[in-house]
Amino acid sequence: MSIPVDRLLLNRLAFGGNPADLTEVGQLGADRWIDSQLAPAPGDDPGMVERLAAVRLHIKYDAGEGYAAADEMRPLALLDRDVADLWPLTDGKHPMAGQERQRPRQEVAAATLLRAIHSRWQLREVLVDFWHNHFNVNAAGDQAIAAALPAYDRMIRIHAFGNFREFLEAVATSSAMLTYLNNRSSRAGNANENFGRELLELHSLGRDAYLNDLYNRWRDVPGALKGRAAGYIDQDVYEAARAFTGWTIEDGAGLGGGQSLPATGRFAYVEAWHDNYQKRVLGVDFDPFQSPMADGRKVLDLVAFHPATARFVCTKLCRRLVADVPPDSLVKAATAVWIENQKQPDQIRRVVGAIAHAPETRQGFGAKVKRPLELVASYARGAGIDATVTEGLLNELDGSGQKLFGWAAPTGYPDSMDYWLSSHVLRKRWTLVLGLTENWWGTGVFLPTQRLGGAMTAEQAVSLWHEDLTGAVADDGTVGAILSGLQLAAGALLAAGRAADPQHRRILAYCAMTPAFNLR
Amino acid sequence: MIVSRRALLQTGAAAIAWPGLRSLALAADSAAADTLVVVFLRGGCDGLSLLAPTNDPDYVADRGPDLRVRDDGAKPGRPVRQNCAPTVDFRLHPEAAPLGDIYDQRHLALLHATGLMNGTRSHFVAQDLMDRGLSDSAGLHGGGMDGWLTRLLRIHPSAAPAIATRPSLPASLGFHGASLAIPDLRSGLTLPGGPTVKPTLAALYRAASDPFGRAAAETLTEMDLVDLHLPRGADGKVADYRPENAAVYEETESGRAFRTVAQLLKMEIGLTVACVDIDGWDHHDNLAGRFSGLAGQFSRALAAFWNDAARYHDRLTVVVMTEFGRRLRTNKSNGADHGHGGVMMVLGGKVNGGEIYGRWPGLASADLDNGVDLAVTTDYRGVLAEVLTARFAAGHALGQIFPGFTPGRPMGLARA
Repeated sequence: MSIPVDRLLLNRLAFGGNPADLTEVGQLGADRWIDSQLAPAPGDDPGMVERLAAVRLHIKYDAGEGYAAADEMRPLALLDRDVADLWPLTDGKHPMAGQERQRPRQEVAAATLLRAIHSRWQLREVLVDFWHNHFNVNAAGDQAIAAALPAYDRMIRIHAFGNFREFLEAVATSSAMLTYLNNRSSRAGNANENFGRELLELHSLGRDAYLNDLYNRWRDVPGALKGRAAGYIDQDVYEAARAFTGWTIEDGAGLGGGQSLPATGRFAYVEAWHDNYQKRVLGVDFDPFQSPMADGRKVLDLVAFHPATARFVCTKLCRRLVADVPPDSLVKAATAVWIENQKQPDQIRRVVGAIAHAPETRQGFGAKVKRPLELVASYARGAGIDATVTEGLLNELDGSGQKLFGWAAPTGYPDSMDYWLSSHVLRKRWTLVLGLTENWWGTGVFLPTQRLGGAMTAEQAVSLWHEDLTGAVADDGTVGAILSGLQLAAGALLAAGRAADPQHRRILAYCAMTPAFNLR
Repeated sequence: MIVSRRALLQTGAAAIAWPGLRSLALAADSAAADTLVVVFLRGGCDGLSLLAPTNDPDYVADRGPDLRVRDDGAKPGRPVRQNCAPTVDFRLHPEAAPLGDIYDQRHLALLHATGLMNGTRSHFVAQDLMDRGLSDSAGLHGGGMDGWLTRLLRIHPSAAPAIATRPSLPASLGFHGASLAIPDLRSGLTLPGGPTVKPTLAALYRAASDPFGRAAAETLTEMDLVDLHLPRGADGKVADYRPENAAVYEETESGRAFRTVAQLLKMEIGLTVACVDIDGWDHHDNLAGRFSGLAGQFSRALAAFWNDAARYHDRLTVVVMTEFGRRLRTNKSNGADHGHGGVMMVLGGKVNGGEIYGRWPGLASADLDNGVDLAVTTDYRGVLAEVLTARFAAGHALGQIFPGFTPGRPMGLARA
């Protein structure tokens, strides 16, 4: 299948094409459009601000012991709140409905979906989704992570185009990650290894650099004796875990001697909990009794500037943006830019720019299947459905295999098509498309004839919508299948005026169920 | 019948032997087919809490009084008779007590110190290796990315699709086409939007040659294989499922999963493989509380399933596995970090239960793997191989299902 380059780029660097962006790419040319997307204004664009302000998410629960019932349409009120403002949601002694405690996740998910559909800064939204998965936390079912999620999302937005070393420290000191990977309760003595391990395996060097089945002693790892270990083993995990002891959050924990931390949910460094003795990570010695946080920061330096990290993260970026199995030449080029700019404040912007402008990114089609979030956003965009986000749509997305901020494992959602082609996910894809078209969840009535009015045959309608959505011409089999679905004979005219809306809707929905629309 | 295989579309492997085999299996008496339920406790289930050596002095010393299973006090573990290590007082976690009765009935066999013959403490490497029936991570880089269950089904075709009870398939079924992911069966496997949707989609994907279109076409076919067999009321709604023998499934991940498997088993569609994946065993903090809750949910669900499926015991085998056990000594978060040797369970009417199999290596410092973790004395593939040999006559194909694996002396876990 061949589709125009503009369309290919919008599938990869945006949540699909909408008419306005297609026009803009056409007018500016691909390179200038990419450059504009690489330099978004901070915050939401004015249209986005309005849309976010207009969202109302239903919240409903019965009265419980110590709290009253609620049944209201509530705006998104928590997105800008500091973690300290939301920390009371984690207080088990304060009676409250579970929905209130999970509300921050619901609001961030709503904003994420709405931005994916409508934000002018599409590439930023694509990257924010990437980084949320790279630095995955699971806010579903965990009150503290839910309360910290708005701050975590804002942090990711700040660093999405920034410097990876700075990004790592922002993640390592975030309340969401400190809770999710348990570092908040790690102490000298027997450190909690969860964060140290996943920092190495998932956030930085990657599992290909985990050489534990090859080497039992740190000194045997190639390069270790020169302070440049090629990879890591469990001994590095133990030592990295020790380096981060004392990195915690103000969660009211006792400090001994009648003192305790305040309960704000904010980052804290507790010297008394830190393991101050000498360490060795990746073949590099750490002297004992360093200044506060110096041990952890040194680990972050070592991993952020390690060549395995460059290769691992760049491979993941290319996989997300371009293809499940990205071209090696593209990964190599991105990795070189990563290393060359590793001290630059806009390191990631330069890497993403190199990928976005690369010839490999303008070739090939069908090397990925859209994830449900991409499917919903690209469908609303492509069809021109002026959708808002409702709790009904969010619930449906939750059940589609891609519950936003609700993936249990620290890997983030799988980024290869096999996972997204299970029978369950496929059924949910069909449901999402139909429901959005026919307003099952109150996301907005869609009147296709306002965009594509006038008398036309069913074949014409299929051809027009198919090309609008996918950029490709519908083949005879596709046209025939959709006509049979509408029980329309070849050459039959659609109904006159607004009466054609239901027919157009079904045609559109079927066009969005084609391989041409689900692949990218 | 369409017998497409998602794998083949992607890998380009030849489709030679497939279609005939599947229809052959359909022609055979599908009701007589054996069913294998593979339960994977994702995250590294703490074997030292599940089946605890309660009187081992190192266990007592390294796990505080609140972080271990006790042989005394208000909530002691559930004792099990065994000949594996006669001086050790092995007990099931008190929340796993429902499994003790099945053990006493000799349907449940337990294995300690099992796992990968590979030192990885990475969840994702360990799970990948186990899902693919491997031991050596070099195998992950070559071809062979299909799962061990995919390979089993290749030599032992199933009339029914393979089932997963989560939204997507585990890698053990990787590239197996005839499969359904069914997180919930209560409202059937229909499509929304009215009766015209399914035939339209079938027509839309009929000529597809891309991975999405092929998977979609196949899903429509596989859905029918299950949906058309679901008992429905006069109103067309799926009838409520009524478990037998007063079994009760709780509304938990475990409860829903086992209820779905029981429902499919009783539909007599020739279910051969069902995968139940239970998340949440990565207990780096608050081990005692978190393990109790999850182990209780899981044990009650597995026991309910076993009782509910009583009529099927003779052709039902359940294997429970996890990627690794957890560290002997707990951390400062009152949790336990990634370890090595863990526990497996094999449950079935033809299982020689009521015993702990394998060799108990002990917990003294010198006996620990890397000085910190319970060692692995039984390769997880040895356990799976015995089940496949006894119940699926797959003894001749073990080298194919588990590349690089040489079976050791059989432990006598199961019989034909």
